[in-house]
Amino acid sequence: MRMAKEITIALAGNPNSGKTTVFNNLTGARQHVGNWPGVTVEKKEGTCRYQGYTIKVVDLPGVYSLTAYSIDEIIARNFIVEEKPDAVVDIVDASNVERNLYLAIQLLEMGTPLIIALNMMDQAESRGHQIDVSQLSYLLGVPVVPMEANRSRGTQALLQEIVKMADSAVQPGRFRLDYGRELEEEIAKLQELISEDRELSRRYPPRWLAIKLLEGDEEVVKTLRVKQG
Amino acid sequence: MPTKLLSELKPGEKGKIARVRGGGSIHRRLLDMGLVSGSEVNVVRVAPLGDPMQVRIKGYHLTLRKEEAANIQVEVT
Repeated sequence: MRMAKEITIALAGNPNSGKTTVFNNLTGARQHVGNWPGVTVEKKEGTCRYQGYTIKVVDLPGVYSLTAYSIDEIIARNFIVEEKPDAVVDIVDASNVERNLYLAIQLLEMGTPLIIALNMMDQAESRGHQIDVSQLSYLLGVPVVPMEANRSRGTQALLQEIVKMADSAVQPGRFRLDYGRELEEEIAKLQELISEDRELSRRYPPRWLAIKLLEGDEEVVKTLRVKQG
Repeated sequence: MPTKLLSELKPGEKGKIARVRGGGSIHRRLLDMGLVSGSEVNVVRVAPLGDPMQVRIKGYHLTLRKEEAANIQVEVT
């Protein structure tokens, strides 16, 4: 008998992007899909089996950003940074791509293996938006799966991408946001210092840490202070 | 171009964000929600007592307190 391979994935996304619906589609869990803010503040987990894999699915709190200003955002980003899931699925509301992709960029900056689930494709179309899925995938350097989670469409394709990502060696997205010469120089300096500390650079993606330090991110500064004593 | 505070605009008025003042978490949150300079913003409606107000930004609706909107300078178009 073949041993089932176990992987962990995290679901991230803006509030009301359909994250909980995707979670239920994947895990078959019967949970209430509510609309209050903070409906998924507790850690929700489920499992599903697909092609010999046991996939642990962790539902992260719905967030617009990954700063250190709200407990939801800290929970979401600490899970990604510290638990290092095999893949993060970012549920993007296709009818509101511009705002939603902001979170996607932050996830890419964290260097996490990312899959974009482009949800609510039907709503985007009814608003007259046409999204070139393959071009988006090419530009961001990550797989993009079109979905209509409320009609259970796209779940199989998403599972296939998850398994494909778990099977291949992790290659972080090649997309990189250019902050301009001045900032890039400072990022490069910090990144070099961070990379010299082996433990630190193993725990945190050096470029992400450098950007967070420049932002004056309180959590990151606090963590480093504690570490350095 | 004349600039006004977003909090001074009336329903139906629109403009381009010139600057978001302030600091700290509210400031960062406004930027996170897409209220960055250069973005188009339309005032959709304002509550009876003038607070809060609903705006359209980057293709979605956002409701702001008047004091938050007062940190946002807009070039009226």
